Amino acid sequence: MITASHLHKSFGKVTAIDDVSFDAPDGSITGLLGPNGAGKTTTLRVLYTLLKPERGRASVDGFDTVTAAPEVQRRIGALADSHGLYTRLTARENIRYYGRLHGQQGGALEANIEAQIKLLDMQDFADRMTEGFSQGQRLKVAIARALVHRPGNILLDEPTNGLDVMSTRAMRAFIRRLRDEGKCVVFSSHVMQEVSALCDTIVVIARGRVAAGGTPDELRRTTGQANLEDAFVAAIGSEEGLML
Amino acid sequence: MRNKIWIVFQKELVDNLRDRRTITSALFSAVFTPMLLMGVFVVLGQTTADRAERLLTLPVSGAENAPALIQFLRQNNVQPGPPPVDPQADVRAGNNDVVLVIPPGFAEDFSAGRPATVQLVFDDSRTAAGVTVRRVRGLLDGYSRQIGALRLLARGISPAVTTALAIEEVDISTPQSQAASFLNITPYILVLVVFTGGLSIITDITAGERERGSLEPLLINPVPRRDFVLAKLWVTMAFTATMVTVTLAALALALNLAPFEKYFGVRISLNLASLVAIWLITVPMVVFAAALQMVISVRSRSVKEAQTILSLMAIFPGLPGLFLAFVPVKSTPAAMLIPTFGQQLLINQLMRGEAVAPLHVAASVLATLGLGAALVLVAIRLYQREQVLFGR
Repeated sequence: MITASHLHKSFGKVTAIDDVSFDAPDGSITGLLGPNGAGKTTTLRVLYTLLKPERGRASVDGFDTVTAAPEVQRRIGALADSHGLYTRLTARENIRYYGRLHGQQGGALEANIEAQIKLLDMQDFADRMTEGFSQGQRLKVAIARALVHRPGNILLDEPTNGLDVMSTRAMRAFIRRLRDEGKCVVFSSHVMQEVSALCDTIVVIARGRVAAGGTPDELRRTTGQANLEDAFVAAIGSEEGLML
Repeated sequence: MRNKIWIVFQKELVDNLRDRRTITSALFSAVFTPMLLMGVFVVLGQTTADRAERLLTLPVSGAENAPALIQFLRQNNVQPGPPPVDPQADVRAGNNDVVLVIPPGFAEDFSAGRPATVQLVFDDSRTAAGVTVRRVRGLLDGYSRQIGALRLLARGISPAVTTALAIEEVDISTPQSQAASFLNITPYILVLVVFTGGLSIITDITAGERERGSLEPLLINPVPRRDFVLAKLWVTMAFTATMVTVTLAALALALNLAPFEKYFGVRISLNLASLVAIWLITVPMVVFAAALQMVISVRSRSVKEAQTILSLMAIFPGLPGLFLAFVPVKSTPAAMLIPTFGQQLLINQLMRGEAVAPLHVAASVLATLGLGAALVLVAIRLYQREQVLFGR
């Protein structure tokens, strides 16, 4: 379970997020929708402990992301904004490194790695050096290493960015599967259709603020729009930076 | 938690050892630089030794006028050569460094006990000829003294009365220190290796990690930032220390292979004990250099920027050592407190076969390690800031 309350963060004179609040329960997919530059990545960076909010607080399973950062780090698996791999290591070695950093070792670790490789359909390239991997292959490795320690809370920053149609469909199925395992999934996107198709709860972020939030039904009701995508546009006040 | 450092260390080691090109070029320069240096010394030694001792062919005009003098020259490894038609034009043209002219009146003056004139034709503005000219001049002086002494003895006078002063030269340079003056460049090379040996690795695993986008996900793992910093420093230090070892080994090998004895008249002995001592004195610099490089690299915006700054920086620490080759500096405890400078003085002393003061070694090691430790703390602080994700 992830909770953000009244998060505020600025860089110099630029306010990145201003009073962002939402709850993301377990067994549910929460989508952060907003145009590029709205503050989605900053919000996620606060949640995965790399940025400290100037005001407000965020917690994972009740642990504060600032004061209990190591405990939060053990409880989350995050696909960060940048997800570079080590190109001189194989996909399996990349995943193993993160598993070991989470304190896993031996047969249990190898079993976890193998499970991730199967789950994400990576058998063909698991033992190749990641130099020259396609966008989709790189993303799979990045997700596998983020989830190798089987965290209960999963944060994904634009997980379908740059993927082709087939890979996007596979990624969506994967995210649903995580939800069905009872995990708390938070992901960000600027693609309306994707958020509509996947999310149980939607948080619409624009210019660093939460413009609207709730289940798809609640969003349609509060904005007075029958169509969910029209509801997003109404909440944000513009179509700019969004994608169907 | 210690084993987290080990995990990061292992990963960085494997990752960087697979970077064959970087490893090969670093190893190559570590081996090649001392070899090149020795090559230069051998050529230098050959030139000096050649002119001082090699059989010299001296064109002599009018050799038939002074057979005894010619005999004397032959005994001293000087072979009289055929005279040029015009000695002055010949020397001016650079065909010969020096020509000896013995005029027809030589024998007459000599027998009469008058100073017999001989002419040395040379060009004083040609410094390269200086060694040859001094050698011939010295031989002629020697011959003159020898004959003069014989003449005095023939008249019942001790030749000693003509020597008012007895000049004794007490040269306190050990044979080794004379030869080692050529080797004063060694501390410079070692310091250069200390600051370049791990350069590509430290930039790759700090600025490079950020540039490739693998830093952000890495920092989400439940590992203290301190552990990442220490592991990355350990890898860099291990690599640099290896380069220092290879360079020292190549240097020792080159010293043993190069025929120094032949050229300088002495052996330059770098025995295992002094090699180990030099290595131990160099190691604290490795800590200092790696920490300094990390601090700079973390604050750089890109790998390229980091490498540019670090390559420029690598040139300077060794420069004081280069001056040691020309201006000897007295080893004082205060000088020992300056990182890299104290070490260069100490290595210099070891290469000259002198004893090093334990106090000086302690001061140098502690000062450098202390400053290195302070820089490690700065690096940890830098990694704990949010800005580590973005650079600066």
